[in-house]
Amino acid sequence: MLAAVLVLNFLLFRMMPGDPVASIIDPNFSPEAKAALSRMYGLDKSLPVQFLLYVKSTLTFDFGISFLTGRPVLDELRSRLPNTVFLLGTSLLISSFLGTWLGMAAALRRGSLLEKGVLWSGAVSFSFPSFFVQLLLLMAFASALPLFPLRGTLSVPPPPGGWALAGDYLWHMALPVFSLSLLGFGGWALYVRNLMVKILGEDFILLARARGLPRKNIVWRHAFRTLLPPLLTIFLLSLPGIVSGAVITETVFSLHGVGRFLLEAVTGHDYPAAGASFFLLALLTIGANLLSDLLYGITDPRVRLDRGGRG
Amino acid sequence: MSALLKRWSFWSLLALVFIAIFGNRFFAAPPEAEVAASFSKPLWLDRSLPPTREITLTPEEPSVTLEWAYPPPAAFSLRTDLPESAAGLSVVWRRPDGSELTLAPLKKGLEVDGRDMAFKRALGLTPFGDAAGALFPGSGRYEVSVKGEGPWKGSVKIRLEGGRWGLLGTDQRGRDIAALFVAGVRVSLLVGIFATLIATFLGTSVGLLAGYAGGWTDSLLMRLVDLLLSIPLLPVLMALAAFWGKGLWQLILILSVFSWMGTARTIRALTLTLRDVPYIEGLRGLGAPSGYILRRHLLPETLPVLLATMTLGVPGAILSEAGLSFLGLSDPRVISWGRMLHEAQSFGAFTSGAWWMLLPPGLGIAFLCLIFLDLGKFLEERADPRLLSGGKP
Repeated sequence: MLAAVLVLNFLLFRMMPGDPVASIIDPNFSPEAKAALSRMYGLDKSLPVQFLLYVKSTLTFDFGISFLTGRPVLDELRSRLPNTVFLLGTSLLISSFLGTWLGMAAALRRGSLLEKGVLWSGAVSFSFPSFFVQLLLLMAFASALPLFPLRGTLSVPPPPGGWALAGDYLWHMALPVFSLSLLGFGGWALYVRNLMVKILGEDFILLARARGLPRKNIVWRHAFRTLLPPLLTIFLLSLPGIVSGAVITETVFSLHGVGRFLLEAVTGHDYPAAGASFFLLALLTIGANLLSDLLYGITDPRVRLDRGGRG
Repeated sequence: MSALLKRWSFWSLLALVFIAIFGNRFFAAPPEAEVAASFSKPLWLDRSLPPTREITLTPEEPSVTLEWAYPPPAAFSLRTDLPESAAGLSVVWRRPDGSELTLAPLKKGLEVDGRDMAFKRALGLTPFGDAAGALFPGSGRYEVSVKGEGPWKGSVKIRLEGGRWGLLGTDQRGRDIAALFVAGVRVSLLVGIFATLIATFLGTSVGLLAGYAGGWTDSLLMRLVDLLLSIPLLPVLMALAAFWGKGLWQLILILSVFSWMGTARTIRALTLTLRDVPYIEGLRGLGAPSGYILRRHLLPETLPVLLATMTLGVPGAILSEAGLSFLGLSDPRVISWGRMLHEAQSFGAFTSGAWWMLLPPGLGIAFLCLIFLDLGKFLEERADPRLLSGGKP
């Protein structure tokens, strides 16, 4: 998995057009100076050697120096990663909890207004482009009604003091997180509702009801437990999309994050930066993948037993 | 198929296809033409603003009167289109109080703008004066005419830039948003349909091959599918769009190369269940070549599902294209809805409060996606019962 990402990343950014060195130096430089720069970035070596060097440096998180800013890419990324993780993590938490709750409520009250609402919000979240909704929110709550800031992660200059700083950060992140949660919960609720409807129609639920178990018990002890593993699968499948969403959200709200860094790097032919941020986003996906694999063991006892048997 | 005729989405799609093909004929100018002042509001929005007007004076109709009940127009310009200059004739402007101003002599190839110094001086204004304001001191009946002795040929055009234009206003460059919107339908439909067609072809081939061949071919292909499914798509697309170029067809190709995985999975699962169905086994026993079985028997069996997954895949392609365009990674010469939103964000739709630049493209994308979602659901519902009976013989 990791190896495949490495190969893809290398190919993607080495095959981009334009001489990478040309973008950082003056065209009037002497050929010797150009060659020296090429040597500095290791571009004079053959492709396989370049690839090995690249793998080595990537695995040690040595991403080189950004062509555009002239600072080490690692430093740039290190200051941005927490913002991206915060943005995605918070909105994911909110949308998954809200979505699961609403989806279950909809499945329990078939034919109600709530269920119709869930069906519609699902359709909306699959058809409305995220940036459009975010632009509308920006226009309404930052431009027309200046309740929230138009751009940025912190005020310039940032307010002094820990609490004021944290408050300012939250104030800036409120709209991005809200918009992502708003867009995310619909699809989530739709999945949960569909799964739950299927589960509630199964025999073991009928049996549980026949045993005279209280409704709360049936829903949470029996149906919800069964719901969790497929829910995790869906979560796993939606991860890449969520990480992709970071690029757009960070661009719309001009956040100091990895996604926007990637966009700037790609448009500015900044290979080290683009490669590194792509790698980091892929790593984020893989990391979350691993995490949900671990959660599988907790939610699905069969997986646990299986693994125990083998080990 | 009569059930299809009852779906709103079917008729909406037909209407949109019609607009995509013939829509631009309803506009006098091509969509990229700059027709009015930047950020003009839609005509129906703010009736206190003057609409954009063009007045043409000809020898047959040498004077035009206009009722004016608005503040002065945003800009004023005059252009002569004459075969030769006519001495002794000039364009005269009469204000409601009866006072007259000479705007310009009838000279060949004359272009006067309200911001020209010479024009302001001719009106008796300071260089910093407001020509449009001097021409329109208040509401009432204005008259503009060609006065003087002698014959003349050709025409004089006077243009009053108002703050309102067309059905949906104008963007930052003064382009008609309604025309841009109509041009955008075409791009979204093209990208959505062709990208999914190619992706479906790829996915079906991979799925059939993996499901029918089995063994290491299957596991290799499915590993690839798993891998591609777990990589964040947009960053890859961004890099590819920057590397391959930003043309429409390149974009379609890039999108389709990275969106066939879902189809491949579905088709593989179907093929797996169909592979061991007695009649296929019988065909194999009779010595039918694999290619024949795949093409003539398995492919038609998967067709209903294929149609449904294809239709459900269109919104994804449309949204991806819009996202890339929104990030500014599309050809700037190709007008698309995503591009319109990109320009709305980058060129100050916010500061000028121009919400009419945001809503049409955004709602357009959403509407188109809803259409395909509904159609896909319809096809899925029709495919499902047949599939169940086919899957469990």
